[in-house]
Amino acid sequence: MKLIFEYEEEITEQVPDVDDNKEIELGGKAAAEDITIELPQNLMRKKLPLPNVSEITVVRHYTNISRMNFGVDLGFYPLGSCTMKYNPKINEDMASLDGFKNLHPLAHESCFQGSLQLMWELEQDLKKITGMDAFSLQPAAGAQGELLGVMIAKAYFKQKNEKRKKIIIPDSAHGSNAATAAMCKFETITIPSDSRGNMDIYKFKEVLEDDVALVMLTNPNTLGLFEENILEISDLAHIKGTLMYCDGANMNALFGITRPSDQGFDMIHLNLHKSFSTPHGGGGPGAGVVGVKSFLAEYLPLPRILKEHDSKFVLDYTKQKSIGKVRYSYGNCGMVVRAYCYIKSYGTNIRKVSEHAILNANYLLTLLKDDYELPYSRRCTHEFVLSSRKFGEKSALNIAKRLLDYGFHPPTIYFPLIVREALMIEPTETESKETLDRFAAALKNIVNEIKENPDFVKGAPYTKLVGRLDEVAAARKPNLRWTSLSQSNGKENSEKKLYGEKSVRNSSND
Amino acid sequence: MNYSPITENDKEEMLKRIGVRSINDLIMDLKPSINEKLDLSKPMSELELVEHLRNISQKNKIMKYFIGAGAYYHYIPSAVNHLLMRGEFLTGYTPYQAEMNQGTLHTMYEFQSYICLLTGMDIANASLYEGSSALAEAVLLSSSYNGRNCIFIKEGLNPQYLEVLKTYCEGADLKIVNEIDDNTACVIAQNPDFYGNIENLQYVAEQAHKAGALFITCVVEPTSLAILEPPGNYGADIVVGEGQSFGIPVNFGGPYLGFMAVKSFLLKKIPGRICGMTTDSNGNKGFVLTFQAREQHIRRERATSNITTNVALMAIASTIYLALMGRKGLINVAKLSYSRAHLLQNKLKSIGFEALNKKPFYNEFYMKAPSGYLETISSNLLKNGIHGGLDLDEDKILICCTELNTVQDIESYISIVMDTK
Repeated sequence: MKLIFEYEEEITEQVPDVDDNKEIELGGKAAAEDITIELPQNLMRKKLPLPNVSEITVVRHYTNISRMNFGVDLGFYPLGSCTMKYNPKINEDMASLDGFKNLHPLAHESCFQGSLQLMWELEQDLKKITGMDAFSLQPAAGAQGELLGVMIAKAYFKQKNEKRKKIIIPDSAHGSNAATAAMCKFETITIPSDSRGNMDIYKFKEVLEDDVALVMLTNPNTLGLFEENILEISDLAHIKGTLMYCDGANMNALFGITRPSDQGFDMIHLNLHKSFSTPHGGGGPGAGVVGVKSFLAEYLPLPRILKEHDSKFVLDYTKQKSIGKVRYSYGNCGMVVRAYCYIKSYGTNIRKVSEHAILNANYLLTLLKDDYELPYSRRCTHEFVLSSRKFGEKSALNIAKRLLDYGFHPPTIYFPLIVREALMIEPTETESKETLDRFAAALKNIVNEIKENPDFVKGAPYTKLVGRLDEVAAARKPNLRWTSLSQSNGKENSEKKLYGEKSVRNSSND
Repeated sequence: MNYSPITENDKEEMLKRIGVRSINDLIMDLKPSINEKLDLSKPMSELELVEHLRNISQKNKIMKYFIGAGAYYHYIPSAVNHLLMRGEFLTGYTPYQAEMNQGTLHTMYEFQSYICLLTGMDIANASLYEGSSALAEAVLLSSSYNGRNCIFIKEGLNPQYLEVLKTYCEGADLKIVNEIDDNTACVIAQNPDFYGNIENLQYVAEQAHKAGALFITCVVEPTSLAILEPPGNYGADIVVGEGQSFGIPVNFGGPYLGFMAVKSFLLKKIPGRICGMTTDSNGNKGFVLTFQAREQHIRRERATSNITTNVALMAIASTIYLALMGRKGLINVAKLSYSRAHLLQNKLKSIGFEALNKKPFYNEFYMKAPSGYLETISSNLLKNGIHGGLDLDEDKILICCTELNTVQDIESYISIVMDTK
């Protein structure tokens, strides 16, 4: 596939033409309104080196590019920890209703009563699902939710005049937990996992001093195992005055079954793009809404949404102990609409989501555990981790690449870090038994292929438009953008020598 | 609705295969358990859902917006959404398995290229959440680059961006200060600024560099880049901003599109995903995520940022938008936005509004309304379906125009204001 920059110059007319022949020469008259652009030369761009391509070319270009992609709409996508469930189409339509899509965030309060109602109601439903007392819909993704949580902890202890500089994180945690702690200048203490996949409670007790601000746990954890000592951990933490933070990435296992607040968590972030079905979009947008217990509610970002007794909704900017704002406006409201639709669709039946997610994961685990290794011999929740270490170094990578040829997206590999040659599999509730059977058959078949002809599996994939890509070369000779070698002489559209390997190095001389 | 395809028969067979009698046997460990159904609403069919959501959406009122201040109401060609809604783009995730997700990666590479071409910078990442947190990330980057902990902000930064910056600085133990010295990690200037003013910021860049600080330009209305000097040309080390103007609806504030572009010496410090071109085992070109050693899933507490999920789909939307508009379309958008804003400002001047911009402006400007009238004017405009701008303090109003504010709309705006007086 060529790049959009490599097409010949074509006609494009998406907006009314203001100046027929002089589109590149700026500073001319805007004919329709007889106003001259009068800007000093040193403010003006000399040229804009973008391609002009006609609509048909653009549509074909991106349609064909999209065909080189894989998504839940095309097939099974058991990417562990990411909850790649089906994204209901109706939710896209609802988020695109004129009243939502075209609402300006700074419009007058009388213009957005509908959106405030929806957001307020979503907060109420999330409170019921998690048991928390207050929610903020502001964070744009899980990692920003974590950041908000850690900022709240920092502000809370500052307010109490306590110097706490440490955050406890188990070694099975998402990397973002540790990175978030570092962004707020906390020191992280990593606790190893025990033989049952729980955080090692003895090691935990050893390091839990009264200088620990926060314990960040994912529950169920990234091994897909429910933390068996959760109540004891929370109690111990609370005795020391330490706050409990739940990374809610795995909330899909818990709907209607158990509430994080009952497990002793004081804060949680939820990934609306995971548990609540908003589409992943090739890497976002997501939404990482945060819920807290009542004693932390005053620290949530501004504005908060209030419902007044006459059923009018208002934005409250009263600065109590709020940490401030973590982003422009009120959150990824488009994703909020989709998640709202999802919860309203299931309503009181939402427990079925988690039950089916757990059923599917345990079924698939049962089908596969004899062919691969199960590092922790327990029933799983909504996901599980297998090891392929008996097939040698890099076997997880090779198996993943071979799965591409079977038409499946591979599981998450090499995560969590504590399992060697890890394959982290999350089927979700929206997959049929037939799909799970086919996937298990493929993984079993690959085992046979490894035994018969290991080199064949190492060469996979064979059926994609590209073969195995060289990531080492990508980092060694970075080519991170298109450049036109002729840009400097103003003929950006006639000569199309592209992909300078030296693009980055060249431009560093600017 | 129920989106799970598992039948009762399937369930029986699966439980049997697992070796348990009921689903309850699988969830015994998940405690403390909830014994009653959650108090949520009755499940809705798709039909009921549509009715319900239509009702809610109709409680919102969509206006003719003459308001910007960080979110810009531009025309979006129809093809953008048609392409974006393809399940291949919509329902995949971060392209960890490059061979299977060349589509997202190809578009990311084009997006990075577009951002570099528009900003005049060397390297761009594949997106951040939105403009204000992107700016905060740029500040963290600066501090991590030069080990300094003070931030200087030139006046005219969008107040919401400032709020976000303060929050991040509090978290990261950074200080916002009033002078540039050898503790200054970076100097930030928004261009065009919150009030619409545009400037050649070469002199600010020089001040920053003289003190050994990085210079960050923040671009909140990126259609301006179609006609304005790219920040890379006047000394920016980092350009961050908001890409919402490029094909993304105003969406009541999100999802939007944060972008960040840097000079090449900052490559290893930039946060977020980066796509690079490489070759496969047969020598064919292809794309992968690269420089992942900067990122949280590898580097954990030593990562350049905690960002994981970004806004890939919004980056795809803006790439398609830029491709459809082309050089010509984008320049037309900029010219129309510029000319409509200047037309409205002239007309308001002629009926007694005072122009407050002391510098040239692009498509946003602020004015002082005749004393005591602003509230009535704004409310009369609202009654007529026109959102006249963002009311600031002391009778001041911040007004914005884009190509969607037609000459007729401008005339109705003026006549309503005249009727009010």
